[in-house]
Amino acid sequence: MNYLQLLQLSAPEAVVTLTVLVVLGVDLTVLRGKSLAARFNVGALLSLLGCATAALLAFTRHTDANLFNGLLVVSPASDFVKVAILVLTVFTVLISASGKFTDHVGEYLSLILLGTIGLMFLVSTEDLLMIFLALEFASLTLYILTAFNKHNARSAEAALKYFLFGGMSAAFLLFGFSLLYGISGSTNLRDIAAAIAGKGLDPLLLVALVMTVIGFGFKVAAVPFHLWAPDAYDGAPTPSAAFIGSGSKVASFYVLAQIFTLGFVGAQGSAVWHGYVAGWTPTVAVVAALSMVLGNLTAIVQSGVKRLLAYSAIAHAGYMLLGVLGNNQLSASGMMFYVITYALTTIGAFGVVAVVEDATGGDAIANFNGLSKRAPGLALCLMVFLLSLGGIPPLAGFIGKFFLFSAVVDTAKNLGLLWLVILAIAMSAVSFYYYLRVLKAAYVEDAAADAPAIRVPLLSFLALALLALLVILFGVAPGLLTQYL
Amino acid sequence: MIWIVKNLWLIPALPLVAAGIISVNKQPKRKLAASLAIGSMAVGFLLSLCAFAATLGHGGGEHGAFREVFSFPWLQFGGQWMSIGWVLDPLTAVMLMMVTFVGMLIFIFSVGYMAHDVNFMRFFCFLALFASGMLGVVIANNLLLLFISWEIVGLTSYLLIGFWYHKPSAAAAAKKAFITTRIGDLGLLIGMVWLYAETGTLNFYEGGKGCLESGALAQMLTHATIGGMAVSTAIGLLIFLGAVGKSGQLPLHVWLPDAMEGPTPVSALIHAATMVAAGVFLVARVYPLMAAGALVGEHGVPVTTSLTIVTWIGALTAIFAASIAVAQNDIKRILAYSTVSQLGYMMMGLGVGGVAVGMFHLITHAFFKALLFLGSASVIHGCHEEQDIRRMGGIKKYMPITFAVYAVGMLALAGFPLFFSGFWSKDEILHAAHGWSVSQVPFYLGCAGALFTAFYMTRQVALVFFGSYRGHQEESSQGHSAHSHTSSPGHDPHESPAVMTVPLVILAGFAILLGVIGTPAWPWFETYLNGHHVEFDLGKLTAGGTLTLMVSSSLIVFTGLGLGVWLYGKRQRKTAGEQDVLEAFQPAIFKVLQNKYYIDELYEVTVIRFNAFAAWLCDFADKWIFGGAVLVVSYLTLGFAWLYRLTDEYFVNLGFDAGCDSIRGGGGFLSKLHAGRVQTYLRIIGVALVALILFLIWGRKA
Repeated sequence: MNYLQLLQLSAPEAVVTLTVLVVLGVDLTVLRGKSLAARFNVGALLSLLGCATAALLAFTRHTDANLFNGLLVVSPASDFVKVAILVLTVFTVLISASGKFTDHVGEYLSLILLGTIGLMFLVSTEDLLMIFLALEFASLTLYILTAFNKHNARSAEAALKYFLFGGMSAAFLLFGFSLLYGISGSTNLRDIAAAIAGKGLDPLLLVALVMTVIGFGFKVAAVPFHLWAPDAYDGAPTPSAAFIGSGSKVASFYVLAQIFTLGFVGAQGSAVWHGYVAGWTPTVAVVAALSMVLGNLTAIVQSGVKRLLAYSAIAHAGYMLLGVLGNNQLSASGMMFYVITYALTTIGAFGVVAVVEDATGGDAIANFNGLSKRAPGLALCLMVFLLSLGGIPPLAGFIGKFFLFSAVVDTAKNLGLLWLVILAIAMSAVSFYYYLRVLKAAYVEDAAADAPAIRVPLLSFLALALLALLVILFGVAPGLLTQYL
Repeated sequence: MIWIVKNLWLIPALPLVAAGIISVNKQPKRKLAASLAIGSMAVGFLLSLCAFAATLGHGGGEHGAFREVFSFPWLQFGGQWMSIGWVLDPLTAVMLMMVTFVGMLIFIFSVGYMAHDVNFMRFFCFLALFASGMLGVVIANNLLLLFISWEIVGLTSYLLIGFWYHKPSAAAAAKKAFITTRIGDLGLLIGMVWLYAETGTLNFYEGGKGCLESGALAQMLTHATIGGMAVSTAIGLLIFLGAVGKSGQLPLHVWLPDAMEGPTPVSALIHAATMVAAGVFLVARVYPLMAAGALVGEHGVPVTTSLTIVTWIGALTAIFAASIAVAQNDIKRILAYSTVSQLGYMMMGLGVGGVAVGMFHLITHAFFKALLFLGSASVIHGCHEEQDIRRMGGIKKYMPITFAVYAVGMLALAGFPLFFSGFWSKDEILHAAHGWSVSQVPFYLGCAGALFTAFYMTRQVALVFFGSYRGHQEESSQGHSAHSHTSSPGHDPHESPAVMTVPLVILAGFAILLGVIGTPAWPWFETYLNGHHVEFDLGKLTAGGTLTLMVSSSLIVFTGLGLGVWLYGKRQRKTAGEQDVLEAFQPAIFKVLQNKYYIDELYEVTVIRFNAFAAWLCDFADKWIFGGAVLVVSYLTLGFAWLYRLTDEYFVNLGFDAGCDSIRGGGGFLSKLHAGRVQTYLRIIGVALVALILFLIWGRKA
């Protein structure tokens, strides 16, 4: 156990850290005075190189290691999640490359990469302290990214709300963690599990549990801790919103599942219909049900596509929580498949929104009118993403829902969790309504007579087309992804 | 197996290929079309000679005739394979030679006859296709293959009768031929299906397993069907029905005279020499089926119900058609009724004397009837498309070669003693009929038919070739037929070109010579078909009443010829419009004969009227009964649709809309929670914390 080993095990994170420095340095020195597009393109390419190297490092090593009693845990599963986060980061960077919302290109890209580092550490630990630190680190970069559009007052307002809300829930989370430490005398998840096993549901443990749920409910934007999300998605620069909705979600869900399945082993309770036993699963079940209902219903009345996507994200968080409360290997891998494909899809959707927003000056559904005429390729990508979010075969969204729901139905005896799945399916049906509203605007409505064709930046378009292809590919051949989960 | 058996399929395949090539070429390639068609027939003739040689070399033993088959599986239904194939035996070989040789000559003749026709290539395409179908019928060792070829033949017959389809009469005749023969084909089809159901095979010969071999026949004999008839008899009669249609026997003969609307070479090839003989050939082919379970008569000739029916139909047709021919004025129609009558003789021959007797007449008739038709074509061609014998006369002078060969054909058909093939083959039939154990009536009918035949042929020849030309009188008053080419009014008849006369001369040679192979003294043909040794024995000419019969039949022929010469030769008619001698003598009978016993009219008032009534009935039923039912159903459907729409609009949709509205309203309400005030948000977290903890505590208590 030495520092060289530590550096070896955290090599991907180290590479990304170096990339941060390089991107920042190059932008501040070599590219000073160059055009915005050039700076963004070079920065994006450098980030891409760094992330690709890090992803390659993580992907090719097949290591199982546990340093400092769970402070740093490296396993093939966590490495694959890191690769997914890095890929999502790359796509986020690519779609931000056409942005015009800031002059501080180097800082913006560095912050995204720094957030990525936080997320990477978040998934490679089994220690409460490390979880909290990494989570806070990632959150802080996200607050800044939300506020990055300094020309827009709503960006700052959204960031402030996000920050206040985040700070509050971080306080709850820290309080919860401290209670856990008090109960068990350890910050390691497995030690905590051993300590609380067989003691029943202590009131203190109960409070700690609820507070943990609040902390992570905030991170994944689950009802009723979602209130920041619509404002943040709406006000933040679109690539930032995409990052909040994709990479951050993947890491948060992974670690949420870790905490509950590793740390609260003895306290899962039961969320079975007519068989309710207090524990973390019923808590998560309540949050999930609320998220599905509220997210989908509220999305119906939205007129801005980014807000619509925010509520859709809340609803999807509800579906994904089903995977957590399924509480076994099958539902966990179903959840990871779902969250990864959802993240790819949602980046794509935000990417399309970013392009349309740049071209038309807004993200209202009306701004999408006649998109199929103005930018056919873009409209096609949008259709793939939205239909996948809705869950239409043969797209990845359908397969994800299918895996997840069937895994959850299987976990409880006598189909005890069927009620949740039925609710989820019913709400998916509702979700079509608002996704199709956007597609209707794009394909059925006519654009204003003088509306010119939309010029899609090449880098963005390549990224979007690749994402659409991936969404189709993982729908047709889900085995490509499930073999690693 | 000899190579020729394996490759027998080439003979029908060649004209088929020729027809295919002709059909895909563009119109004005006359030389290509003619040479392809004639060439394919020539090669086919050579192959047929090889096949003939093969049967000749192996036959003649005591094991019966040479017979080799080649079969292969064709298609599968259920677990059974349907195989098809071909057979080479004397019957096939003789027919192959006849069809390819006569066909070739007629093809050559057509080059001259059709020289001016625009659709020359189409004509040769159809002719070649016909030859292919006909040869397919001949080689088939399988009733299915035979039926397929049979239908190709029927189709080309239809196409060629209607070749000049711009003439309404030709189009009508084509339809009539097609539909009438179809009635017979229905019987053939049912017979075929029944045969398959009974024996499980349609192959004629298959090493003891074929449907014409003893095992299958014995099995069919033991089963009885309606009226105690053996199944073999019933199937035989159904197949005979097909033959009746194709060979123009009573009562399905009506199409054959009308078929003369086609170009005359077609009449010669299809409606005299080959296709119409296919019916006779079919009966000869399935003869074992017809003869199954026979009580063998005194001369070794089998007697069965089916053969008796064949005999009677043949005999009646022979006398019936011959009598009609007496009163016809169209040169081709006379020949057409003569053909029907001769086909009747063949059927009678099959019935009373077996395969050899019927087939011998078929072969000789093919030659001399082709000769007569081509001769008449030459006459028609020479007389500028004139077909009415009343407007001809004295053509001997203008067309000497045609006259000479026509006279040969006429004498062969009339059965002039000793020197003409028709005499020997007809005599065989009469001889066999005389010895028939069932009844003597067919014999007397045959004799009467022979008398008529000699008479009407003499009448025709006298009117066409003797006397003076009567064509000019009409032309001046009537104008001229659109068909004639270079002639101006008053143009004299002319002899035809060599391409037409040479085939005529060849055919005439055969019309004389062919008699040699079937005389009672040297019955080579019969022994060849039956696979026996032939012996030359002049004594047979006089033995067993043969001589008496020959003398009496000669007397009959001479009577007929004499009558004809006396009535028409001595005193030639002066004008075309003049009344016929017989008409003056017996107007009522002549009228009946001229109108073909009013058979067409009879069909008109019975079959066709019934058909029209049935059609009207069906139309009525379709319009009012079925149509009404459909209408009721459609109104019911409309009513239901209306009801569904009502429920949909006022119950389902309203309910759904209400549901949607409430969901949307819920969304609106929930979005109000989101007022944008951070303080509220944080308060909600607090509330959620308390609520969740209470929820869990409640759960713990429970």
